[in-house]
Amino acid sequence: MTQNTGTGARPGVGPAGSEPASATPATPPPFDRPNAAVAAAQADAAPVKPPPPRLTWMGITHQWGTRVKPGKHGLRLGDLNVGIYGEVPAVWNDQTRNPRGAVARRGIPPVGYSIRDKADLWADCAADLYEEAIQRRWAPATDVPWATLASLPDDLEAAICQVATELSQYANVDVEAVTHWQHQMAYGYHEVKQFLATVSFDAARHLEAFRKRALANGGGLGLEGPGEVNRMILESRGGWTETVLYLFVLRGLFTQTMLRYLERYATCDAERAIYGNCLEDKARHLTYGVDHLWYSINHQPDQKLITQQLCIIGERVLVRELKDPVLREALSIVFAGGVARAASEGAAVYRKMMRDFVRRYLDVMKWLGVERTAMFPDELAQYLRND
Amino acid sequence: MATFPSTDWFDAVRKAFNADDAFHGAGGGACSTVMGAKIGRRQFLLTFEGLECSAAREVSEPDLATADFYLDMPYADWRAMIQNIAANGRADLHHTLNTLDLDRPEGLSRSIHGDQYREDLFFRYNQTMQFYFDASARVKTEFAE
Amino acid sequence: MGEAGAASQQGELDLGWMKRRGEWGVRAEPSKQGLTLADIQIGSYGDPVAVSDNQTGRPRGAAARATSMRIGGYSVTRKSEIWLENASFLYEEALQRQWSSATDVPWHTIRPLPDDIEQAQCQLATFLTEVEFVAGDVPARWISQTTPDYFEPRQCLLAQVMDESRHMDVFRKRALANGGGLMLTSGGTAGVVGSIDLSRDFTEMSSRLHISGEGAVLTIFRMGELMAYNEAEKAMYRLCSQDEARHVAFGVMHMRYMSEAAPERREEIQCYLDEAERQILAGSQNPAGTQTDASEALAILLGGGKDKYDEGLKKLIAIRKRQVTEYVKRVRTTGFGDRFDNGRSQLPALMNQAAA
Repeated sequence: MTQNTGTGARPGVGPAGSEPASATPATPPPFDRPNAAVAAAQADAAPVKPPPPRLTWMGITHQWGTRVKPGKHGLRLGDLNVGIYGEVPAVWNDQTRNPRGAVARRGIPPVGYSIRDKADLWADCAADLYEEAIQRRWAPATDVPWATLASLPDDLEAAICQVATELSQYANVDVEAVTHWQHQMAYGYHEVKQFLATVSFDAARHLEAFRKRALANGGGLGLEGPGEVNRMILESRGGWTETVLYLFVLRGLFTQTMLRYLERYATCDAERAIYGNCLEDKARHLTYGVDHLWYSINHQPDQKLITQQLCIIGERVLVRELKDPVLREALSIVFAGGVARAASEGAAVYRKMMRDFVRRYLDVMKWLGVERTAMFPDELAQYLRND
Repeated sequence: MATFPSTDWFDAVRKAFNADDAFHGAGGGACSTVMGAKIGRRQFLLTFEGLECSAAREVSEPDLATADFYLDMPYADWRAMIQNIAANGRADLHHTLNTLDLDRPEGLSRSIHGDQYREDLFFRYNQTMQFYFDASARVKTEFAE
Repeated sequence: MGEAGAASQQGELDLGWMKRRGEWGVRAEPSKQGLTLADIQIGSYGDPVAVSDNQTGRPRGAAARATSMRIGGYSVTRKSEIWLENASFLYEEALQRQWSSATDVPWHTIRPLPDDIEQAQCQLATFLTEVEFVAGDVPARWISQTTPDYFEPRQCLLAQVMDESRHMDVFRKRALANGGGLMLTSGGTAGVVGSIDLSRDFTEMSSRLHISGEGAVLTIFRMGELMAYNEAEKAMYRLCSQDEARHVAFGVMHMRYMSEAAPERREEIQCYLDEAERQILAGSQNPAGTQTDASEALAILLGGGKDKYDEGLKKLIAIRKRQVTEYVKRVRTTGFGDRFDNGRSQLPALMNQAAA
């Protein structure tokens, strides 16, 4: 078997450059003929020699002789990017479900993928993150030591349940945002699509884990969130990159910081397991988000300026949402271990949490080359000044 | 040493299966099903709950109706499969459950109740079933015939 | 400002939100399988409404805020459009039975194969990668359109998207692991199979994807396990089969629910099954029919080589006949089996002829 490249023509068969035979059968499909099933069954009853195979697909390939061997960590997705299979074009115009590196058939109706530019979704780390997500999978039902939950004072339980309610709602937004965009992405960038499948699966786990926490210890679900940031994320008309900024960086970093503090102030091993596992997942999402934004900014003119504008808008929406006292109070109660010291000690920890979030957010944006000095909301900047 | 077929044998395999975490991951994992095994004129029911095979018992033929699915092949074929597993540490390419099922026109997995949803558990939990029988490599087996 | 009260000032807490919550005093207990979704179906939390007006994405059972931003626009807002009774169970099963194509498939057991076999394996892998693209894309679209009040079926679909992602990954790995490569796309994921994309209703989509499509792919995976030439292929196809069987189970249970809860849609659903069976009849059930590239590849693999194609094709047709039997039994399980008794379906005639 020799290597074939280009149009996929088979050497020595037909004129050079000849197209592979169409898959359309020469006879009309059976369902167009009357009593097709009976005819077929009758044909089967009397032994019929099957027609000879066409085998027109044999020898049709762009690159043969590929032998990727498993490494120390098994056979990973990124390992497959050898030769033509690793050529990730800047634009993927193929509107069918042609796997990257396979030989396309001509004349296939387009499926219609709207995200076909690499700069609109790519991150070099996507393949690795996909495998990492699979290796580090967890199941809330069995990997959280639910038996360690113990009765808590009503005010503390109420606060934890309120936080869990809002985090479950955040996870719902993750689910809806990712699945909304994922199916619109072309398969030339399958690494990203596959990674996003793990992201939406992570979000499903988070939605479930927080719901379980709220319903497992004598509490229940609390009040839904204000939803401003939720809507901003889901209404990202500017495309997936805009969604990434809001979902994984702005909201994602906020959630991640919150989880770190919740883990620190967890009341039992069950909570520690929930927050700790969710934290790992969120860290992966953030890694993709930052890597993608970096790629986008460095491969699309104006993307840095656009990102700057999106930050200005997004930060203001976040600030408006943070004015709502519910989450802040609930967190303060959690950090203080109860209402009694929530306004003092708990609030101090909340401010520390916000400082860490703002600092980290600014660091990330600075690393991306998007300085957030101009028009940065004072409501967020204040957390740095109060140091 | 356990004699195949017998409750003692299925129990011994059950213990070997339950004891090794390697049989509980890698596409195995928690499941919930009652599987039957028909060997000649003897029938056994195995209960899988969570990560364990929790029970094995000999039953009468009508009791197979309670199984989600049962595996039925001649004694000689059962013996060949178990000997193959013992020789190789696991079923080789020609003796996996799915292969045995598709290789015979009447299939290996069937049911009395006819509910395909329950019969499909043979597919949904196929890796676990395979791990279970592969665990028989760790059981010293003598054969009744 | 939210309804929770006036803005807290430094040193003061409002706490009005503590009085605004869902059902309280709930204490779900873990079962033998841990704390599952089924275990938290307690009281009002386990009782999805027949029609959802949740446009803010709030968790089912959470207290609503009048001022919460609407994010909805969901197209699936009726329980009868998407429900199935054991969604929680299937989701938890999916979580527990995940696997890694990188490390749970013994890739080191692959050895060079005769060229015709390797080409057939790679052609099949190319086809299966393409097919799994459909099964990954379509559920994702429906997830984002479904109200979170029916999160249980959504969780199942999220697990399916993850499973399909793993499948497209494992077949790509197989194609590139043994001296071969990707081959010719089928194009079959547009057109008839692509009609899965075009479904305007969840049940319509599910009948095409889960009952018809996944059922057929399950058979291909089982054939893959049967004809595997090494442990890696055995493991790969077996693990994929498990996932696929779970997806089929989703479709069966959804259709069973529809049969009981939406009798006014029976005739509509029978039409979806008519369409699914037209595809079965048009396929390689007919030994005189032209085989697709993937079927030719299967026949080569089942026969053991290009020179044993006829033998392989006979095996393929025999296994596909079993697929029809299983399909009929599944549909009977769903409560739509009357179509096989009243002459609507042509499949019984086909099966009787084959048995004669």
